[in-house]
Amino acid sequence: MATDTDPDGGIFGDESETERDRTGNPVVNWMENLSEAAYAYLLLLPAAALLSLIAFYPLIMTFVMSLQEDRTRGLEPLGGFVGVENYVNILTGNARLARQFMDVTLSGSFPFIEFGVPILQQALFVTLGFAVISVFFETVIGFGQAYVLDQDFRGRRWVRVAIILPWAVPIVIQGMIFFLLFQPEVGFGSDFMQWLGVFGADPLADSQDSFIIVLVADIWKSAAFMALLILAGLQSVDRSLYDVARVAGASPLQRFKMITLPLVLPALLVAMLFRTMDAMRVYGLIESTAGCTTVPSLTCLVVEAMFGGTRIYGTAAAVAFMTALVIGLIISVYVFFFRDTQGGLT
Amino acid sequence: MTDDSTPTDRDAQTADVPAHWNHTRRMTDGGQPAEQGRDGVLIGNQADEEAVLDRGPFERWASKAIKNPERAYKSMFYTATIFFLLTTLFPFYWLLMVALTPEGRQQDIILTPNGFNPGAFIEVFEVLPFHWYMFNSFVIATASTIIVLVIGSLAGYAFGRLNFRGKLPLMLLVLVISFFPPAAFFIPLNDLFNTSFFALEPITGDGTLYNTPGAMVLPLSAIFMPLAIFILTTFYAQIPDGLEDAARVEGTTRLGALFRVIIPLSAPGVATAGVLTFIAVYNEFFFSFLMTDGQPENWAPLLEGILGYQGQYEVLYHLMAASSIIGVIPVAILVIVAQEKIVSGLTAGALKE
Repeated sequence: MATDTDPDGGIFGDESETERDRTGNPVVNWMENLSEAAYAYLLLLPAAALLSLIAFYPLIMTFVMSLQEDRTRGLEPLGGFVGVENYVNILTGNARLARQFMDVTLSGSFPFIEFGVPILQQALFVTLGFAVISVFFETVIGFGQAYVLDQDFRGRRWVRVAIILPWAVPIVIQGMIFFLLFQPEVGFGSDFMQWLGVFGADPLADSQDSFIIVLVADIWKSAAFMALLILAGLQSVDRSLYDVARVAGASPLQRFKMITLPLVLPALLVAMLFRTMDAMRVYGLIESTAGCTTVPSLTCLVVEAMFGGTRIYGTAAAVAFMTALVIGLIISVYVFFFRDTQGGLT
Repeated sequence: MTDDSTPTDRDAQTADVPAHWNHTRRMTDGGQPAEQGRDGVLIGNQADEEAVLDRGPFERWASKAIKNPERAYKSMFYTATIFFLLTTLFPFYWLLMVALTPEGRQQDIILTPNGFNPGAFIEVFEVLPFHWYMFNSFVIATASTIIVLVIGSLAGYAFGRLNFRGKLPLMLLVLVISFFPPAAFFIPLNDLFNTSFFALEPITGDGTLYNTPGAMVLPLSAIFMPLAIFILTTFYAQIPDGLEDAARVEGTTRLGALFRVIIPLSAPGVATAGVLTFIAVYNEFFFSFLMTDGQPENWAPLLEGILGYQGQYEVLYHLMAASSIIGVIPVAILVIVAQEKIVSGLTAGALKE
């Protein structure tokens, strides 16, 4: 046996033997006698079972379904094996979807690519654009918020509550707030933006205006998340470094560039990675503000294909798996470019 | 400081000042060597004289700021703080104003409501059974939190305190799950939950999980479990071995040591994981939206209630706003009570990676 009391086994061997009998429960006895590794696997079993049922099995099934033909009639939801046909249809913009995954053709003249439909009606570019722009602004604003929270001042506790609060708001309520703000009948947001000349007549039906609304809503909520993670990084910086820099005559900007930024960078990158993954999955916010037809994200396409009434399950599965692939690709890019920084973190 | 500026006097002055004076002087002009520091003194004198000329308050403020940059940083800091507070809190304030405005007069609300109708907060419960939706959300979030904490504790104990082969790959595998989009799991799960299982018939009636809390609790537990596992692993790994060994020698079983020693000693970590899971499940959209038909008796959560005020014939804007405020209150209380735990939990969960 290799329990934790193993070294004492020789001395207490008899005692633990009787103790084991005293439990009188064969399951407990069996568990006590497992090796450490076997016990570890046993403890991981429930988590593994749940994750297999909810994550791994569906992921494999999604892949299998994505290789099958859409069958719009009859009892069977899916037809025969068609290989990568669904993927080809998706990537060439020929899928039977209201909004395409991507619809791009190469052309001979500058800029060498042509968009079949406006770029903000192609799910891949909408989602990528949303992720890049929102994460950029969230990082900048989150850094500002974290910098404020890092100072010592009276009432810091309450300022922190106020800044965390948007992060804790349910997505549907976040969507509702910005829907109301920009709904011409209620909110002043659209009037204001029209006065600035940015928005058209009906912002919640216009792809570009709605894209901006969704962006603003996401930045409002998620900058707080960034701020918290960056704050953790800021607070781990040794304060005496700043004193040294001050004595050496470094300006605040120099102090930021040479001390704060390099030391916070690992935390910053992790926070950005988390936010990028999250932004790539955007769905609820769009559904509760502008709607999936106006701002089609990748997850939107999957849901539309499933419930749009056209029964194109093969295509839906292919889009879902492509979404996973795109996200996986972004993770690898992050890990590849920043592996040294991340290694320095742990 | 001296007003007459004969070279000898100034030199004497520089020599006389105590060390900390030099220190502050250097700071204000960006750490110039002492030779130029004297010029700094001159500039300071000029600024003083200009201030005496009594120009507008802004110039006076600016000249003071030039002399003493710390002051400028301080005002910048307060400006930034107020800006952040306004941008984060204004939407809530505005939502309250919309909720308080009587129906049909929601035009042009910015700072004050058009009329005063607190009755909207009662009407919310009359038009739809909003309390029922909230109850469903609470049940789903609580059940998911319990499942995540129990299963996550077992896994966290294994990862944090036991040595076994394949530990790192398994942890990475768990991490990868939290990266995948729910859409990639959704289609087969939707099929699975709409399949009738004989064993479930006594519980759910028709034997499917669709329209039951299970259809949300299972996927949501799985999706938010990785974060909880990482938080719990961190906390469990910090408990000294001696405490566990002592309990074992006293005759506790292995599982007993986990539940009677490790978990109570890591109570702050367990609370952190619990709070974060509860908030995450309560806030979730994707599965909550798609795994029920939207009827409160079929366990539709909060979000169906809020979207429900967008009726077929009329859109009840003031009720949408009022229900949103009511829906935020539980998480707002959690944030106020448990802000330290949220901060430490997010940090531990994210930086563990």
